[in-house]
Amino acid sequence: MSDDETFAAAYREHYWAVSRYVARRLDGRTDDVEEVVADVFTVAWRRRADLPAAPLPWLYGVAHNCLANAVRGQGRRRRLVRRLGNDDAAHGRHIEAGPDTDAPGAWVHDALARLSPADQEVLRLTAWEELGVDEVAVVLGCGRRAAAMRLHRARRRLRAEIDRMRPTIPAKEYGRG
Amino acid sequence: MADELDLLRNANPVPTDGPHYGDGPLDGRAEQHLARLMRGGTPRRGRGRMWALAAAVVVALVSALMLSGRTTAPAVAAPRPLVVRADTTPVTLDTLAARAQARADGSPALRKGTHVQSWSLGMSDDEPPVTLPEERLVRWHADDSHTEVVVATDPRHPGRPVLTGEGEVVDDGHVLSRRTYPPSWSDAPPQSPPPRDPGRLRAYLSEAAYSRTDLSTGELLDAVAVLLDTWTLGDRESAALARLLADAGDLRPAGEVTDRLGRRGLAYVHDRNGTREMLIMDPATGAVLGLETTFTRAQPEYGVKAGDVMAYRAWMR
Repeated sequence: MSDDETFAAAYREHYWAVSRYVARRLDGRTDDVEEVVADVFTVAWRRRADLPAAPLPWLYGVAHNCLANAVRGQGRRRRLVRRLGNDDAAHGRHIEAGPDTDAPGAWVHDALARLSPADQEVLRLTAWEELGVDEVAVVLGCGRRAAAMRLHRARRRLRAEIDRMRPTIPAKEYGRG
Repeated sequence: MADELDLLRNANPVPTDGPHYGDGPLDGRAEQHLARLMRGGTPRRGRGRMWALAAAVVVALVSALMLSGRTTAPAVAAPRPLVVRADTTPVTLDTLAARAQARADGSPALRKGTHVQSWSLGMSDDEPPVTLPEERLVRWHADDSHTEVVVATDPRHPGRPVLTGEGEVVDDGHVLSRRTYPPSWSDAPPQSPPPRDPGRLRAYLSEAAYSRTDLSTGELLDAVAVLLDTWTLGDRESAALARLLADAGDLRPAGEVTDRLGRRGLAYVHDRNGTREMLIMDPATGAVLGLETTFTRAQPEYGVKAGDVMAYRAWMR
């Protein structure tokens, strides 16, 4: 297969996984998700000659960088959107928050939010993207041993945060899993 | 007791089997994005960012061309907005929809593929933002493959050089790309055939626009453009579309126009915040001929004046 064909196959296979990755980190603003995913694949297209045989972790790595850019660009975009008055949020077209804010998962998110961004990312990649250590290493651009160490430490810190929050959490929720 | 990773797994805000972003075939927008990448174009970015920033660069580009003293100016400058002859007796969309319904006899028929002349302020963050006057013809074949030909042309200046999406000046009629795509099939709007019933067509357009709520009129017009960039409607589908647009209630008749392809049409306008959409429809059949978006407010820092054209599309058979 040519690079173009390989890229097209990876796009079709992984478009939704990349969308989920981005949505998990953008609190689900639909239009922002789509825009960042478009950026991810645009960057991936330019670098298609580098696309590895197992492209998904590599695509997550690209997405990680695109998200950082998107967050930096949000201030400018917000100003512009306000000016044009076209914010989709005004049309109610963003993902509903649903009961999530009060859901059992909310306090886990609180515990996660107390960790450093690097700890959060290695934990999310493991728990939400369900990546193994080798794949986490590809996303983070580090060696396998370093990835394993980062995960080990991040798990320990998350555990500590959970334990710190435990007195405020109903026992039946805490034990859910 | 659950370990910390299990707790985190259960708190996944976008699970694989959740209601959003589940695995499956690509939707229309993702397909379009892929197609654009594969033909080497730069995908459109977020609407607000793209248009506002593009406007500034278009102004700079036009200035640069003027200063360079080029004698055969390429057809690059932003087009002037269409002139509406407001003195004509207004035809309400309701009347036009009834006319379209009465005439519809199955000819012409629905056809997959599109033929569209378009221009828009274009922008990417890392490539030269340029205007894109082009004509696009998409034809589907019996084996579900399709061919797309994109030609640089500006109907206002036949024979004049045209600026391409890559920032180069080429001859009018220059083929920018010609690609044949392998067989593909999708049963999701806008790839699935549009229904002929206005209610079902509305649901179809909502799905094409990824909306789970009723579309506003502005969003509806966006979805109509997506539809017509994929399908060439038959008279029955056009009649359903005219009825649906009439029922939207806030497209007001503005008068008659002659569009950029020299066709007579009826104009219906809808103001969004900061922009005006003008839908141009065939006075006899109610078919949508085109859509023009203009700025209604000046954005001096971006070099945009009220009345400037942001984009237009003109669909042909």
